[in-house]
Amino acid sequence: MMAEPSPVALPRPRAEQAIAELLHRSPHVWRGRGTAAAPAVATGFAALDRLLPGGGWPIGALTELCLAADGIGELRLLMPALRSLVQREGRPVVLVRPPHTPYAPALVNAGLPLRHLYWVHPATGDEAQWAAEQILRAGLAAAVLAWPCTRQRVPFRRLQLAAQDGKCLAFVYRSAQDLANPSPAAVRLLLHPAAGALRVDVVKARGGHGGTALCPLGRVP
Amino acid sequence: MLYLALFLPQLSLEACAAESSNPAAVVDRRGTRRWIVGCNDAARAAGVRAGLEATMALAICPELQFLDRSPGNETQALRSLAAWAGQFSSWICFDRGRQLLWMEVGSSLKYFGGVERLLARVEDQLPELGHVADIGIAPTLEAAALFARSGQAAVREVGDLLPALAPLPLAELELDEDLKEILPDLGIRTVAELLALDRKSLARRFGAAALEYLDRLLGHIPDPRPNYRLPPRYSRRFELLGAVENVEGLLFPLRRMLVALQGYLVGRDSAVQEIDLRLQHEGTPPTLLKVRSTRPVRDAARMLALVRERLERAELKSPVVELQLLAQRLVPIGDTQLELIEGGSGLQESSWDELLDRLRARLGPSAVRQLGLRSDHRPEHAWCLVEGQQSSGQERSPERPLWLVPPTPLEQLPPSLGRPERIEAGWACGRDERRDYYIAEAPGGSRLWIFRDANLDRWFLQGLWA
Repeated sequence: MMAEPSPVALPRPRAEQAIAELLHRSPHVWRGRGTAAAPAVATGFAALDRLLPGGGWPIGALTELCLAADGIGELRLLMPALRSLVQREGRPVVLVRPPHTPYAPALVNAGLPLRHLYWVHPATGDEAQWAAEQILRAGLAAAVLAWPCTRQRVPFRRLQLAAQDGKCLAFVYRSAQDLANPSPAAVRLLLHPAAGALRVDVVKARGGHGGTALCPLGRVP
Repeated sequence: MLYLALFLPQLSLEACAAESSNPAAVVDRRGTRRWIVGCNDAARAAGVRAGLEATMALAICPELQFLDRSPGNETQALRSLAAWAGQFSSWICFDRGRQLLWMEVGSSLKYFGGVERLLARVEDQLPELGHVADIGIAPTLEAAALFARSGQAAVREVGDLLPALAPLPLAELELDEDLKEILPDLGIRTVAELLALDRKSLARRFGAAALEYLDRLLGHIPDPRPNYRLPPRYSRRFELLGAVENVEGLLFPLRRMLVALQGYLVGRDSAVQEIDLRLQHEGTPPTLLKVRSTRPVRDAARMLALVRERLERAELKSPVVELQLLAQRLVPIGDTQLELIEGGSGLQESSWDELLDRLRARLGPSAVRQLGLRSDHRPEHAWCLVEGQQSSGQERSPERPLWLVPPTPLEQLPPSLGRPERIEAGWACGRDERRDYYIAEAPGGSRLWIFRDANLDRWFLQGLWA
């Protein structure tokens, strides 16, 4: 026989408040849209911020960026957030195994001081996975942008866990086809080219809204 | 003067890496006689003891593996131990035959906060070096050795030596074996009874050498020995018991070497930024590995972490039979840097460097890159990789794409947008280049950075507007 649950000692309104506070404090508890206070960094695009949990790129969680073709503005989308992070905190930004050479003059133009930028380029996808995990877990970088180039699920789970440990921005670039596979990422975005802008479909947003935002990218068409 | 003596009863075994779950013993030989001088725990559990004839030991424990005693390996081990001892003393000497190492500690007692604290530090570190040692402290070398061998406490003053030595049995004295055998027949069983004899009769009956030894023991006459001069670099060779195929098996002896290296570096007020490893294989050429660190290091655990990453990347092609560790270039350090090197100060910068070191050790030094600008009009030469510390460059340039690709000839010309940017450069290299750059759009929506080479009249892709 189970014992009868003892009555709650707290008066009812106070108990509810305490529970709400506890839930509020934990970013891992999903409580419907918009209510969890996930730590985030503003993206610099108001329309996108409105759709994301916490109002920006989530800190300590994986953000997945899926795109069909390179060169549509997939890096410029992150530049406002990276620029403000680097200039405010002076912590490094790390690119892990990007598909092309990050072009130094363009990075300077975008306002990223080169001394804070690291380009980690392991020979294999597995090593890239390992490197990204190490950097995320150390939690010293402002942001990690990774192109792990692997379709397995297990590594993404590990990256998500490492991102939780490290408390930095964690972006993973994948192909648009990979959207069909489930992913442990907190936020999944599908990026489409648009005239002078980037159209961002929020496919999944733990604690966010979902929807589509148009992010203007500036002078370059 | 105050000497600390380390007596290493298992030196012959420790010098051969006989740590194995299989019984192994070190044998010495004279003529046809072979006898055990040291054995590992597995052999001891089977009943093998030092002093046993080899054939007898084999009868007790048929699977016993014999290792020939190697004076060379023992000297290597003692040199490494001496290097480690450099952190406690600037005067060190050792005697391989007697399995003893001495260091003068009287002058550094104040620094270490007394005999007890010094002893505790020595005792803490000895197991990490892979040595079992008995310790003796006394104002004379021979008394310190005698205390170490007989498990006596420390004696600080020459005046207290005699009472401490008096009750000791004669077996441990550094006297002729034949002499020690006849002494009991003469009714002499302890040091006190021996010293009760008058000097003349001592000299007459046991020889001048015995009398001189007793005088050195008691500090009546000086006992000069050459100071072992620490070499300007740390090097240790280590023969492995059997061939080792996995990294874990190598880390075990390496850990001990790095603990010794740490002691050596502390003694020299230095740190290292580079460690060389040489792995000897059977038949194939040796593997040479360099382990590098951004900041000078001397903490054994940190050095081990770097060595581990480096070894894991190296992928051992064949089993290792011998390894050598070499620290050649020492970096002198001042007190101000000490905190950084020892770690624990929680400085973010140093942990970032540590992370980069780990990445470099595992992925190769060129896998961790930083970017810099170069003043060259040709886009492919307007950037560079920067080695080491700071990458620089602040000047803004005209709009440029975030992805650069090597100039790739275009078969089909995509519709281009906007007005061209003319870039003329490269006279210095003897080639006059004229290019017209355009932004174009590929069918999939990618924005391309393309140019027409005016000399060749051909189109190329050079960037992506990521």
